[in-house]
Amino acid sequence: MFFKIAVRNIRAYKKRSIITVILLACTTALLVFATAYMDGSHERMIRSSVEIYPGYVQITHRDFRDSPSLENLIFDAGQVTAALADLPGIAVLTPRYESFVLFAAGNKAVGGMLTGIDPAKEGRVSRLWESRKQGEYLEETDSALVYMGSELARRLKVGVNDEVAFVGTGADYSFSADTLRVKGIFRTGLFDFDNRAAFVAKSYLDRVMGAENYATHFIVLPARPEEAAELAAAIGERLGPEYEAASWRQTMAGLVQAMRVDTIFGYITLGIIFIVIFFVVMIYTMLAVSARLREIGILRAVGTEPGQVWRMLVMESVLLALVSVVAGGLIGGSLAYYFKLHPIVFSGFEEQFKQYGLAMTDMPTAFAPLVIVRDMALMFVLSVAATLYPIHKVNGYRPIEAMHHV
Amino acid sequence: MNSSFLEVKNISKTFQPGRDVQVAALADITLSFNRGEFVVIHGPSGSGKTTLLNIMGGLDSPTSGDVILDGEKVTGVPEKQLSRLRRDHIGFVFQAYNLIPVLTARENIEYVMQLQGRGRLECTNRTQQVAEKLAIDKLLDKLPNQLSGGQQQRVAVARAVASSPKLILADEPTANLDSKSAAGLMDMMQALNEDEGITIIFSSHDPLVIGKAKHSVLLRDGMVASDEFFG
Ligand SMILES: Nc1ncnc2c1ncn2[C@@H]1O[C@H](COP(=O)(O)OP(=O)(O)O)[C@@H](O)[C@H]1O
Ligand SMILES: [Mg+2]
Repeated sequence: MFFKIAVRNIRAYKKRSIITVILLACTTALLVFATAYMDGSHERMIRSSVEIYPGYVQITHRDFRDSPSLENLIFDAGQVTAALADLPGIAVLTPRYESFVLFAAGNKAVGGMLTGIDPAKEGRVSRLWESRKQGEYLEETDSALVYMGSELARRLKVGVNDEVAFVGTGADYSFSADTLRVKGIFRTGLFDFDNRAAFVAKSYLDRVMGAENYATHFIVLPARPEEAAELAAAIGERLGPEYEAASWRQTMAGLVQAMRVDTIFGYITLGIIFIVIFFVVMIYTMLAVSARLREIGILRAVGTEPGQVWRMLVMESVLLALVSVVAGGLIGGSLAYYFKLHPIVFSGFEEQFKQYGLAMTDMPTAFAPLVIVRDMALMFVLSVAATLYPIHKVNGYRPIEAMHHV
Repeated sequence: MNSSFLEVKNISKTFQPGRDVQVAALADITLSFNRGEFVVIHGPSGSGKTTLLNIMGGLDSPTSGDVILDGEKVTGVPEKQLSRLRRDHIGFVFQAYNLIPVLTARENIEYVMQLQGRGRLECTNRTQQVAEKLAIDKLLDKLPNQLSGGQQQRVAVARAVASSPKLILADEPTANLDSKSAAGLMDMMQALNEDEGITIIFSSHDPLVIGKAKHSVLLRDGMVASDEFFG
């Protein structure tokens, strides 16, 4: 019976019901979509950063990450490859040999990082191959040919087929130097990377540096990138304590932390919006129930208990909140789903994005039903809670006061 | 020891509409009513009729004094208990009808019975019985705003009667009605009083209506000016 009256009242006060539903549904949709956008863009940022060069899982000598010196190299790359050959979950495994060198061309000298790679496998674990802007990508047998970042090439004032000299330290601390010819130029969009990195075939660099079968680290592309942490643990177990296998969550801890901070700020912003909505709903409910005081007084006068009036009014807000939250969840969820398939593209913001080390401008949203349901539940609780004080207040009137209140 | 049906003992009521303003609406009212009476409380406007009825029905609390209905205290009782007392034992009819706007006539009449926890069939039968007596059985599926004032007031009387209360309090039930509707309503109330034995106390300042009562209380300036029995 109270349910019937609650439903009738929702229909009788159509305008108030519609405004409430629209307000709450929009807020729910906003929350669901904002969460989907934040989660999605963070995921995208991390993934794209990871995929440009750092990789999902990195294998190093156990002390290399704390102290990246020539003592802490992987000295038997072949053994690592062999040990992991039959470990499930690995899509690609490739070694790198990184070395800080001084590049020189004409009268320009620029410090940078020269890295030996397995060109074919590297092409699958990072974006190097896709980022080619001029000339050609590397091949396994290339000798003294370099594939260079666009900013580095610009600073050295070299183009494809020009010569660049480098000076560095070999694995045995010997002096090592050679002259390279530019085979290709890449641009990932990550300014810092394009400004410093240059690549050669690992077989060539190993020879020049006296680093045959050495590696600074291996990069692993997991068959399922979302299980990178589990794979890193399995690799660590397989290789034993001499080695360390770290997932991107560890190697990119700074970025992960930055995203977390961003999420917190996002939630603070949403929180402020919610506080405003909370009070809007509360004040609106206060006005709405006050306009109905007389009716509530009648209910009380004929013997309805305060608790029963309370139940009836709460039922109304529960129904309104339920409709709103479901509608908002559907709208927000559909938007999240749509923009997951058709990512939002921030054209014209490339430069700003690059400042944050982001080399992409499309931001797919996340579509996680559980998160959506969580957000809907949160909004439901919030919208019902906002009506409790006004209802409590109205219920505090004596029937005669309520009936005379117009 | 007085053991009549409804006792009003030394009731005073002072309103305080402003900080330093006090209105003495009722001053030391003592009255006593027997079961099954048909009583009018009359007096000029502002004499305290509404205030007295509200206090007798537990809708308002007196500044001092007690009301005792059939041995049960109506004054100084917590709100929840008072709600149940009103639900089970007191029917109200207001000058402004005060039906629940979103419920049909039938649902309004059944509302209190349902609060009392009566079965569906019992509610239906009782509603039909009462509606026939008040000649509103054709109007039961209409909403209050589809009914005339006289019809609404008959629905309100039906609502008050249907729950089989010990006492019906009606505050100027005819004040908003034309004289023909007013006379009709009074006849029906009188019939209910005789047929069902329900004690009815109503207020009025209409001489035609006042004349129907067998017990008449005259208020003046919040005091009992006369308390008379006829017939
Ligand atoms: N809520 C109230 N606040 C202040 N004064 C009131 C209130 N209700 C009634 N009064 C005053 O109490 C007196 C009696 O009022 P009332 O019982 O309504 O008389 P009646 O019903 O006989 O016209 C009047 O002077 C009226 O102004
Ligand atoms: Mg009055």
